Amino acid sequence: MKALVTGAAAGLGAALVQQFLSSGGAVVAIDRDELQGGGRLVPLVADLSDRDSVDALLPRIVEAGPYDFVVHNAGVSATGPFEQIPPQAYRRLLTLNTETPMVMTAELLRSGSLSKGAHVVFISSLSHATGYPGAAVYAASKDALAVYAKSVRAQMKKRGVHVTTVFPGPVRTAHAERHAPAGARADQRMEPKDLAARIIAAARRRKKVLYPGPQARIGHIAGLLAPRLTTRMMRRIIFEKLDRTVY
Amino acid sequence: MNGMPTALITGGTSGIGLALAQRLAGGHCLVLTGRGDGAGLPVDALFVKADLSRPEEAVETVASALRSAGVSSLSKLILNAGTGTYAQADAEDAATIRRTLDVNLVASVLMAHRLAPLLEEGRGRLVLIGSVAHRGSANMPSYAASKAGLTGLARSLRAEWDGRIGVQIIHPGPTRTPMHEKAGYDPGGLEKMFFSADAMADEVARLMETGRPGATVIFGARIRRLLTGKPS
Repeated sequence: MKALVTGAAAGLGAALVQQFLSSGGAVVAIDRDELQGGGRLVPLVADLSDRDSVDALLPRIVEAGPYDFVVHNAGVSATGPFEQIPPQAYRRLLTLNTETPMVMTAELLRSGSLSKGAHVVFISSLSHATGYPGAAVYAASKDALAVYAKSVRAQMKKRGVHVTTVFPGPVRTAHAERHAPAGARADQRMEPKDLAARIIAAARRRKKVLYPGPQARIGHIAGLLAPRLTTRMMRRIIFEKLDRTVY
Repeated sequence: MNGMPTALITGGTSGIGLALAQRLAGGHCLVLTGRGDGAGLPVDALFVKADLSRPEEAVETVASALRSAGVSSLSKLILNAGTGTYAQADAEDAATIRRTLDVNLVASVLMAHRLAPLLEEGRGRLVLIGSVAHRGSANMPSYAASKAGLTGLARSLRAEWDGRIGVQIIHPGPTRTPMHEKAGYDPGGLEKMFFSADAMADEVARLMETGRPGATVIFGARIRRLLTGKPS
């Protein structure tokens, strides 16, 4: 079993790598920061928010394949009033969160780097169900990724590859901590280890979508039943409490 | 410019954008962007040549053209320009994906970002032209993704800008415009079912009057046009 994980150095990515390794798999782990390799872990360094870096990485990914499990996990947020975040941050965010997973998926398909029976997982966000005032471009990037995943699912299935899209709520990571509004409670966020286990299990059960944990399931249902009210509530509990701009 | 409110339309030189410009011409000062030479536009419209596949440059060009023309407020910013390629997931290369996202999503984000102060000044509204494909399309995955991105942007920005700047997204159904040919899609006999750019612009203009936050133009509009004897 060989897995490919992006954003592998911290948070959910690191938890996924750990679980793949401890179940006896090999992992090609991509991150901006250099990882300690060795054994069944092959680290690749690349800045996935930079097109040239991605272009240089693609042949190395193909060379290190084929893969049985791919998780497009790398992502970044940008929180604060829409106008106050610099355009360069939006460009990097959209490249990292949306464009690179799409470019990488197309390349993995074209080069035949996905084994028959492989799982490809896209990490979107609960904001797909709820909206996210105070992180409008982040929300846009995750909506785009979710709909890309949905669009390619049928064609991937013909090749024996199964696509799962994950819509996590808040996760207890350093990244989430930076972007959380004032007074948000860290103990309500899901542990990366717990989320990683749920994701791997859902993909293996060939679930199309996963809203992990009660918070995400409630957010999903609220977004379905009352989309506008839910987004207005998100404004109240997040946007109006943001006390800083983080990107 | 004179006392009329100003509307800016990206991709205002062909298809739905041009047809919309013709409808707004009477009551608005128009600023139209496009990649061509600006021939055949409504008289008095200010044409700005800008290539949205290079979003950063295009935004810069548009902002400085507005400054030169003395436009300091906008009543409507209509982000209509779009591109797409008809290809399944494994047939899309990096260049195609990047171009589609740049024109449809990145340029829209950066344009809205840069021109938000003008919209606020003009108590205006951001109008995003989405697509019925925003829920997913196996034959145009990155196009569908880009339009889903716009949908998400509209939803969150609308809540964020509540009471300051309006946000509306309109999803046109299939329309006879130059985009299909450029996308490499031949609809064949299906084309009879498509809206003309004029009919679609009628519907978009009508929806813009209502200020509904989001709307899809497809079956309802076709039936209403049939009943009222207007051409589709």
